[in-house]
Amino acid sequence: MRAGAARACAVLALLAALADLLPRPAAAQALLAELSQREVAVTTGFSGAELLVFGTVTGEAAGPGAEIIVSLRGPTVPLVVRRKVRVAGVWLNGPSERFDAAPSFYAVASTRPVETILPAEERRRLRIGLASLPLSPRGQIENPDFRQALIDLKSGLRLYGEDPGGVRLVADRLFSARLFLPSAVVPGLYRVEILLVREGRVMAARDLALTVVRSGTSAEIWRFARDQPLAYGIAAVLLAAFAGWLGSVLFRR
Amino acid sequence: MQVYLPIAEMSVDAFLVVGIGLAVGLLSGLFGVGGGFLMTPLLIFIGIPSAVAVATSANQTMGASVSGLIAHWRRGNVDFKMGSVLTAGGLAGSALGVQLFALVRQAGQLDLVVAVFYVVVLGIVGGLMVAESGRAILRRRRQVRRRLHEHFWMHGLPLKMRFRQSRLYISVIPPALIGFGIGLLSAIMGVGGGFVLVPAMIYLLGIPTSVVIGTSLFQVVFVTAAVTVLQAVSTQSVDVVLSLLLMAGAVAGAQFGAALGSRLRGEETRGLLGLLVLAVAVELAVGLVRRPDELFSLGPVL
Repeated sequence: MRAGAARACAVLALLAALADLLPRPAAAQALLAELSQREVAVTTGFSGAELLVFGTVTGEAAGPGAEIIVSLRGPTVPLVVRRKVRVAGVWLNGPSERFDAAPSFYAVASTRPVETILPAEERRRLRIGLASLPLSPRGQIENPDFRQALIDLKSGLRLYGEDPGGVRLVADRLFSARLFLPSAVVPGLYRVEILLVREGRVMAARDLALTVVRSGTSAEIWRFARDQPLAYGIAAVLLAAFAGWLGSVLFRR
Repeated sequence: MQVYLPIAEMSVDAFLVVGIGLAVGLLSGLFGVGGGFLMTPLLIFIGIPSAVAVATSANQTMGASVSGLIAHWRRGNVDFKMGSVLTAGGLAGSALGVQLFALVRQAGQLDLVVAVFYVVVLGIVGGLMVAESGRAILRRRRQVRRRLHEHFWMHGLPLKMRFRQSRLYISVIPPALIGFGIGLLSAIMGVGGGFVLVPAMIYLLGIPTSVVIGTSLFQVVFVTAAVTVLQAVSTQSVDVVLSLLLMAGAVAGAQFGAALGSRLRGEETRGLLGLLVLAVAVELAVGLVRRPDELFSLGPVL
């Protein structure tokens, strides 16, 4: 009994010491933020979703000179970028570069262009902005063209984007940003990061989670196709046969 | 109205897709072919990934062919024995084709291989059709009689079998080989193969025209069904939502097309179909040779 109590005391003391090491709650409270929704459902009618990130800067952190950066990052997926080459008059896929951990989605919005808010090494350390995005290429060809092509193609699909001026800051306190998720978003865990920057230094940060989930009929179809491909194939055949038969009955002449 | 396709993982305009089904159905009803050779390129054109376009088009072609098969079955225009031989060859061909498809996709050359197959096959078939219907139109003016069917050396190969309904006594090797080739095309191009199968049955096997369409539909239904299942298992790219939308349009379109087709003469219809097939081939060939606007492309790691 006594030994147990002593151990409990030791644990409590350790926890107290750890709490001292953590930042004071007041510092974290300098920035408050929330999302319009914590879950985006990919249903049969899904054609993209708009996410509203809003919040406030409180206390001493507020005031002129405060800048806000909001970034939204999707789950990483391996990708291949291929370049077409001309062989005997025909254009076909030639050299390729594999990117092992490219974010499937990345959007950054800020009060001003991120280059003017944060110095280059801070952007690289925090991985903020398309230019500082870690993509981890894995290939023999060390060619920056492939990296740029990946960013350009993803931007064309609205899966990557930079919106300098996308964050509205009212009275140096209240801020809001709108981010658009197109219909091609990959389901999974998304991270929203909000940074409060002053004079090139990050004063406070907030991390919020957003989940994109398949739901409804389209989710069931996807799961069925993935988990029981044989049964799904047979079901697709029966469905097509039924539709064809129905057509022949409807239009029987 | 936007609809999210669960397998293609993108949303499309439902009216656009039903419209494509309607247009292809109209042409297929008019010419008596499945229309897969138009469907796959159109789907790729609106941004559906090639793999999904091919696999789904095979599924859709199957549905469209079922109603045709039922109609011909009722009229007794199906040679089941010949159909079974063609189907047996077709199943082997499609099994090989789906393996090839997965291999090529892994190598990142799927778009190229699909396009090359289209250009070569459609170019040859379209050219032959146009030439043949031109000759037929001329022949009609000159009133030359044709024999029931010609006998080729290959009809005399071993494994002879009697096909009562087709009034033929030939080796099973040529129909099985033809079936095999169609199965291969079906897996790689997402087509039923009627536009190759029908002329092959008429000119190479000498099957009477009355049973050709019904028997070819018999083979097309079973082979596209096999392709659907094989693609679902090996590449997981059959999108039933897309397939149902296409079928909704195609079933209605085929009825209008068939009504329209009965007013045209056989040779003229075949000539028009040949021109259409050639046009698709030329369009795809130009796409292969012209410098693409975007040299880079993105793909998943397979």
